[in-house]
Amino acid sequence: MDPSRERNESVNEAIADRMPPLADDVRAGESFASLYERSFPKVYAYVASLLRDRAAAEDVAAQAFERAYRKRRGYKPSKGSPEAWIFGIARNAALDELRRRKRRAVLETDPEDPAAPAPDEHADFLLRREVVRAALGQLSGQERDLVSLKFAGGLSNAEIAEVLGLSESNAGTRLHRTITKLRKACHEAA
Amino acid sequence: MKPLDPVIDNDLKAIDSALRDGRVTATDQDARELQELALLLESDAERPDPAFAGELDRRVQHGFPRERKRRVRLPRLRVTRLGAASGVAVAAVLAGLVVVSLDSGDDETTSALRTGGGGAESAPRALQAPDGAAGKSIGIVPPEPLRGGGNFVPGNRERHIERSASLTLAAPGDELDRVADRIAVVTDRYGGFVLSSQVTSGEDGASGGTFELRIPASRLQPALRDLAALGDVRSRSQSGEDVTREVVTAADRLQAARAERKSLLRRLENATTDTEAEALRRRLDLNAMEIRGLRSQLRDLGLRTNYAAVSLSLVEDGESEGSVGGGSGTLDDAVDDALDSLVGSLGIVLRVLGIAVPLGLLATVAWASARVLRRRRREAALS
Repeated sequence: MDPSRERNESVNEAIADRMPPLADDVRAGESFASLYERSFPKVYAYVASLLRDRAAAEDVAAQAFERAYRKRRGYKPSKGSPEAWIFGIARNAALDELRRRKRRAVLETDPEDPAAPAPDEHADFLLRREVVRAALGQLSGQERDLVSLKFAGGLSNAEIAEVLGLSESNAGTRLHRTITKLRKACHEAA
Repeated sequence: MKPLDPVIDNDLKAIDSALRDGRVTATDQDARELQELALLLESDAERPDPAFAGELDRRVQHGFPRERKRRVRLPRLRVTRLGAASGVAVAAVLAGLVVVSLDSGDDETTSALRTGGGGAESAPRALQAPDGAAGKSIGIVPPEPLRGGGNFVPGNRERHIERSASLTLAAPGDELDRVADRIAVVTDRYGGFVLSSQVTSGEDGASGGTFELRIPASRLQPALRDLAALGDVRSRSQSGEDVTREVVTAADRLQAARAERKSLLRRLENATTDTEAEALRRRLDLNAMEIRGLRSQLRDLGLRTNYAAVSLSLVEDGESEGSVGGGSGTLDDAVDDALDSLVGSLGIVLRVLGIAVPLGLLATVAWASARVLRRRRREAALS
């Protein structure tokens, strides 16, 4: 069983009955706990991708969920899905952190990948991942933000549009343009 | 919503398909590359440290308990002081508004009350005050006339002031005779007299009367107060004129004339010829005429300064049910008062709104600008 899923289920069981609903009419009384359980790994991955600093990502992710918890009564379902709402808060916190630091830190260590490929595939996988990381370095901040929201955050195009305040077609077009650029950069790097 | 380009739409669908299935499913080479890239990017996503995840789980479980922070009193004090200062400033503005409102809402009353200070500058306003404010300024000490005019006599401490006042009273038609009688009684009570009077009453034509009163100047104020209480005061004015120069001049000339008379009498006693005696007698006659004229002038001045001239007009009040004493209590008065209060209150509300609305608009604009600026600064962090 996926360790993260196992952890989330235990958390959910422990706190689901103690958390008040986000808002009166959101998903028939969905609790903050269920939103946390569903979105925490993705929010953390998104923030870590944006900040490229594990310690800062932990601080910002915790800060984002705490802010969301304090403001949960102010959530308006009409303004978007709960995922878009929590990612918007996390994004603001991450951008504030970026502004404070005025620099981009690199990851201190490569993350340990629990879903690592088999040893015979490992070298090829690492090589391709390094190529992609190098290509990511050629993207602008906004483009990296888009890629992070899509692949680290796992948001749909509609949710990305809600987070960035764009139309869905505009968000899709930008995302496609960014992936095309990334793909081209990967070819050049390879 | 603007539809996506078909090529873009197909590429995005291929990416979503790979992310959903967790494997490359496309047969087309381009689509396969996109799917592989998407899976690589997804697999490269950072995963939270278990220790951190456990700690955050605990905090979520306990509802993000607030950490106790050491209280720093100074900032709180500053905030308190700032708040108090702001409150005082707002209260001062509101108080100012109320004062301005009251000032503008009842100019006649206020101007009459201000004359109570007796200052030289405020005095003319009191003298000109039309009176809806019956009896409110009747106790005013009449102003000293300005001393920059021709009657200024330096060094003379005893001033001779000629005072006059005019008063218009209104009374119901059936009360006119009674009020006219009371005017004479009040005048007599204060040692004055009615110099002339004319009262007209009856159903034909306008009813009313005019009175020329002389009241001892030292008792003018209480007399005016009592006279004003006899009806509704429609208008009132007072004036004073310094005639000290005339008095002093006349007195000096009288003294000189008397001295001349003595001299002429001595010279007449010593006259040696009839012609000289005759000439001195003619001069004595002229001197006597001058002395009489000066005495008369002094008496007249004395009368004018010792007695104030009061011109009182009595007019008929159209509302026969109104009380003579200028009191209130009728339904119409109550309605008028209520309307006046309402207008005054609306005036205050409008003034407050006149300040609050622009301030609110400014605050809204500032808030929106700050929001846009903050958003731009955040976005700039990605640049």
